[in-house]
Amino acid sequence: MANVKIDGINKIYPNGFHAVKEVNLEIADKEFMIFVGPSGCGKTTTLRMIAGLEDISSGEMYIGDQKVNDVSPKDRNIAMVFQNYALYPHMSVYDNMAFGLKLSKTPKAEINERIERAAKILDIDGLLKRKPKQLSGGQRQRVALGRAIVRKPEVFLMDEPLSNLDAKLRVQMRAELIKLHKELETTFIYVTHDQTEAMTMGTRICVMNGGEVQQVADPRTIYNAPANMFVAGFIGAPQMNFFDGLVTDNKNLKVGDQVFLLTDELAKSVEAKKMNNKPLVMGIRPEDIRSGQSNEGVEAIVEMTELLGSDLNVYFKIGEKQYIMKAEASSALKMGDVMYAVFDPNKLHLFDPESGSSLRY
Amino acid sequence: MKNKKKLVKFILTVITVVLFLLTTFPFVIVVINSAKASLEIMTDPTSLPVRWTQLFENIKEIWTSPSIKYSKSVFSSVIITTLSLLSISVFSAMAAWVLVRRKTRSSTVIFLIFISGLIIPFQVVMFPLVSLFRMINETVGLQMLRTYHGMIFAYIGFGAPLAVFMFHGFIKSIPLELEEAALIDGCSKPQIFFKIIMPILKPIFVTISILNAIWIWNDFLLPSLILGVGQDIQTIPLAISAFAGSFVKKWDLIMTAVLMAAAPIIVGFIIGQKHIIKGMVSGSIK
Repeated sequence: MANVKIDGINKIYPNGFHAVKEVNLEIADKEFMIFVGPSGCGKTTTLRMIAGLEDISSGEMYIGDQKVNDVSPKDRNIAMVFQNYALYPHMSVYDNMAFGLKLSKTPKAEINERIERAAKILDIDGLLKRKPKQLSGGQRQRVALGRAIVRKPEVFLMDEPLSNLDAKLRVQMRAELIKLHKELETTFIYVTHDQTEAMTMGTRICVMNGGEVQQVADPRTIYNAPANMFVAGFIGAPQMNFFDGLVTDNKNLKVGDQVFLLTDELAKSVEAKKMNNKPLVMGIRPEDIRSGQSNEGVEAIVEMTELLGSDLNVYFKIGEKQYIMKAEASSALKMGDVMYAVFDPNKLHLFDPESGSSLRY
Repeated sequence: MKNKKKLVKFILTVITVVLFLLTTFPFVIVVINSAKASLEIMTDPTSLPVRWTQLFENIKEIWTSPSIKYSKSVFSSVIITTLSLLSISVFSAMAAWVLVRRKTRSSTVIFLIFISGLIIPFQVVMFPLVSLFRMINETVGLQMLRTYHGMIFAYIGFGAPLAVFMFHGFIKSIPLELEEAALIDGCSKPQIFFKIIMPILKPIFVTISILNAIWIWNDFLLPSLILGVGQDIQTIPLAISAFAGSFVKKWDLIMTAVLMAAAPIIVGFIIGQKHIIKGMVSGSIK
């Protein structure tokens, strides 16, 4: 049993940089929690504070029922997988995995048994005698995971473990990590800047920016109901389009010359937030825009297209601003074409332009 | 164009050969003359020896001569060189590790002081060093001159700057995550140093050891100041200098003794040269 509770954690460096600001978070036992955000958002610092590699400036941290603020990393019953794997270069794979167990004076028979088991799970049983430099990137990654597994930790911490792998291997390892999480039934905390990893792997995602938690929710909620403009823009590729708009009569959204009838849910939130007749920001994802007839949508000029195989990203301009939509790969749109952008009124997001937060919440 | 390239290559080869001959010439002279008797050296110093077995007679004479105490000087040289090497490499590696990992202003200052030790010529500090050692004896009562520990202490001081500099460069290239992984695995600070950092530093240890071994083993000036010529503790170079008196110079014995003294270092260098190059490169470029 190991849930992790983070209670009002701050990290302020000696030079005054406030890296993590008042983070409150509860990670349940056996959960796969993802910390995601742009570089410098404090996700790695938070993870390192959970590991005990970074001092906590203020706030409290619990692993299980134990307050761990002043507990040394080795006594927290955690294991960490680093971005560069951090395998001991002078030791064989076996010794790398056995190192921690030997230090804790685990009986030799048990060490062997645990390593054999982990090696089998990770399919590295043939590599135990090799040195790290004789391994490929993917194999090193497995060894690093193996070193974490044999310790039977209560919490797995992973700091961008897949970012040094090539694209194909990354997809493969992603699936294996999900499988591993199911097999081990342990709490995983995973840091990444890759939103695909975040969306596919996590049971919950914690989006961070500027040292603050922006939203904590399951992947579907994060995508469909982002809490603010940052989350809306950060998750999803290509990113969400934002338009300036105005709501009248609590239900009619005016964007440029277009008027949309808001869904009941959005209309209610506009009313609740008293945003009627005030400027707001409308967000819409690229896949919720399509190209239609002249009487249906807004006139736009195609700036550029990107063929991704399965879809076509179309960059278009309305007035001076550039937007993007996802079209079918077979679409004939090309640079310089005039098109009519049609927005799906059921897929709109509304944000307060001052705070950036969604009117939904 | 092709001819020009060939010519350049030819000239370079000639220069290399000339340089090779120039540098090996003294060594060849030593080898040839170490197998000659004194008179033979005087009459014909450049020819090959008449009897190579003379070498063993010379060695026997050096080894047994009661006035030279060569065997005792070998013992002293071995003691001083090994203990100095061990202390220089272990202490410098520890110092460099702390200096790299603690990013405070004081560690920068201390590192710069170490570096300045590389720039200051030995000749500038040698006499102050002797007076300092004398002062330590007078004030604290600890005998530094003419003792093993005084000699080794001086070598640590003169050897540490280069060693710290080289270790520093290499340790910077060791990712911090390795130490953090060890910390999570349950290592204490000393365990991290001895179980993780030291094994990784092996090539630098070999480099530092060989560079310092050559220097300490061959050094004459510093031991002559601290141990003194003709005193109780003598290193090999000091002992050999006794062959060259003011009136008689026993060239045959000098040559043989020099060869005997150089042999272990040459063997050591040949064994370790792969590591020296590796250590030099990894310390400087990375």
